Amino acid sequence: MTKLSTKHLLGIKDLTKDDIELIFSTADNFKEVINRPIKKVPSLRDTTIANLFFENSTRTKISFELAEKRLSADVINFSSSGSSVKKGETLIDTVNNILAMKVDMVVMRHPSPGAAMFLSKHVNSKIINAGDGAHEHPTQALLDAFSIREKLGDVKGKKVAIIGDILHSRVALSNIFCLQKLGAEVMVCGPTTLMPKYINSLGVKTEHDLRKALEWCDVANMLRIQLERQDIRYFPSLREYTMLYGVSKKMLDSLKKQIIIMHPGPINRGIEITSDVADSGQSIILNQVENGVAVRMAILYLLAGRTEE
Amino acid sequence: MSLLIKSARVIDPNSPHNGKTVDILIEDGVIQSIAKNIDKKGIPNFEAGNLHVSPGWFDMQVNFRDPGFEYKEDLNTGTQAAAFGGFTAVACLPSTNPPIHTKSEVEYILNKAKSLKKNGVDVYPIGALSQNLEGKDMAELYDMHLSGAVGFTDCKKTESNAGLLMRGSLYAKNFNGVILTFCDEKSISQGGKMNEGPTSTMLGLKGIPALAEELMVARNINIAEYTESRVHIASLSTAKSVDLVRKAKARKLNITASVNAYNLTLDDSLLKGFETNYKVNPPLRTKADIEALKKGLADGTIDCITSDHSPEDIENKMVEFDHAASGIIGLETMYALLNTSLGKTLSAEELVQKISINPRVLFNLEVPTIKEEAKANLTLFDPQLEWTFEEKNIHSKSKNTPLLGTKFKGKALGIYNKKALVSAK
Repeated sequence: MTKLSTKHLLGIKDLTKDDIELIFSTADNFKEVINRPIKKVPSLRDTTIANLFFENSTRTKISFELAEKRLSADVINFSSSGSSVKKGETLIDTVNNILAMKVDMVVMRHPSPGAAMFLSKHVNSKIINAGDGAHEHPTQALLDAFSIREKLGDVKGKKVAIIGDILHSRVALSNIFCLQKLGAEVMVCGPTTLMPKYINSLGVKTEHDLRKALEWCDVANMLRIQLERQDIRYFPSLREYTMLYGVSKKMLDSLKKQIIIMHPGPINRGIEITSDVADSGQSIILNQVENGVAVRMAILYLLAGRTEE
Repeated sequence: MSLLIKSARVIDPNSPHNGKTVDILIEDGVIQSIAKNIDKKGIPNFEAGNLHVSPGWFDMQVNFRDPGFEYKEDLNTGTQAAAFGGFTAVACLPSTNPPIHTKSEVEYILNKAKSLKKNGVDVYPIGALSQNLEGKDMAELYDMHLSGAVGFTDCKKTESNAGLLMRGSLYAKNFNGVILTFCDEKSISQGGKMNEGPTSTMLGLKGIPALAEELMVARNINIAEYTESRVHIASLSTAKSVDLVRKAKARKLNITASVNAYNLTLDDSLLKGFETNYKVNPPLRTKADIEALKKGLADGTIDCITSDHSPEDIENKMVEFDHAASGIIGLETMYALLNTSLGKTLSAEELVQKISINPRVLFNLEVPTIKEEAKANLTLFDPQLEWTFEEKNIHSKSKNTPLLGTKFKGKALGIYNKKALVSAK
């Protein structure tokens, strides 16, 4: 197979297992490329890509931009906060204005769930979802699974615990869909107030005791706590959150096996994980970042459709 | 105008002709004769394949956006949509700007409706419970009542102020007024975009728990019990809400209830593509809720079915799901949707009870009957006719409906009211 089954990348939900495996094998090649002395290939020369970020982002934006540049694409960036767009120009108008300048692909982050799907129905361009509200963040899930595969050889049969704010997390949702498609077992762990009431309908295990989750899993994916995104208080204080859900090296060392620690970044050191965990040999956080570029290169390359030429 | 309706089956539990197939001669707005075979030359005939006739339908919950949002709907297009949907009467909510909250707005609506006689639709304004819909001080309910308001509500803003509802329902008792309440505990539904359940979990959309409605239904029933006054619970959408109303009725409280056609026929799994025309308030719930609502209709817990006709312009619908306005138009599809989806839930007579007789009883209005010498106020329809709903069928100013392209069974063919015939054949 050399082609994805979808025209856009809106969410992991729309991908088949074969799609994911194709992305991984393509990313393997690009990972080799970005470790060469000359890191750039001409694959997307003359392709123009717009990165539209309607919500703050540092690392996803840099990762996409780097992936695009390593593929020799022409890149334009647009950032705006969701609320100002809401009051002025509509999303469709904003994007159509940019597309009128002959852009081939759009990478979009947006605070509203479904925004990428909405756009794909109304504008004529290939859309890559770089995060839409609490819905999906497919490239993050793909790079996470790619990193597990790299570290453990395979994702199938592995036990992955996703820990933290499940309620507001697009990373959690996309990871659940992706890991399940690849045959992993998924558990979610966090405070009861940050757990969707119907999360079991997604076929995951739930746990509220951090220690039990860590004892169960092969991989712990620690989510970032984003107090600034919460409109209401779901727990009393960060201090108390850390007491219940912060992972320390001491706790890791007391487990019977060595588990792998992941984090989508940016880390709140001392909140979700302590510094000695982040910097330990069990952490693959920086590998995730490196793989992010390779995985995004693979997605851009496959969606650009240059494979047929 | 005069009209001869040919071989129509009468569906009217109050009529001596109920269940019979007859000809009906109408002259100058009055039913002159009803008989097996009437022969009269020189006047228009109304004939159709499988013609049925019932007392004119009444939709007790529509949003006509006039005054204030006439670009979405005005009283002319709204009453046209009603007529083409088979309704001879509607009650319109004070979701206007300014809200219908003094006699001026009540009179504006009644006067304007009077000038639209050709559309054949009676318009009954529902006044605001609080001044400016602010949820604080009571509006002039009695003055609005004298001017023609048939009920009072703060619409979907919901009285978070329990005391306002308590005093309002007590006060309205003086003149047998009815308060309509929409039940939503905002501190729980806050920011929610769709029903909380497996679908909302999968879509990452903030869920509205059924609890938000049920808490308010329970509270409002308690208030009605205390004040011993009439409270109508509008827009029921969850199984537990139906149960709460059922129990309240069993305790002989003066509670009535209604359900929106969309809550009765569509469920939340339809939202998987983030289609904003499925965004409504109350949100589409689960298939189990739909079954409970049907049961509530069949056993008399739910008195009326409404369209909750809510026109929205494209600028409010063709946007991200989070930002889209709630609501769909419904007058022109309500009967077809119910007839197609409800199966054997209600008999033809029972359906007429819910969409024609009960709403009028609730608002203390005269109930039209199909008998000789009665004023002709009737709906003509065909429960068997198969048709596809297309944009050309829409008379409303707004087109926000998820039902375009749907194949329906059953159609309203026309109305006769106020000496006017509107044919939708």
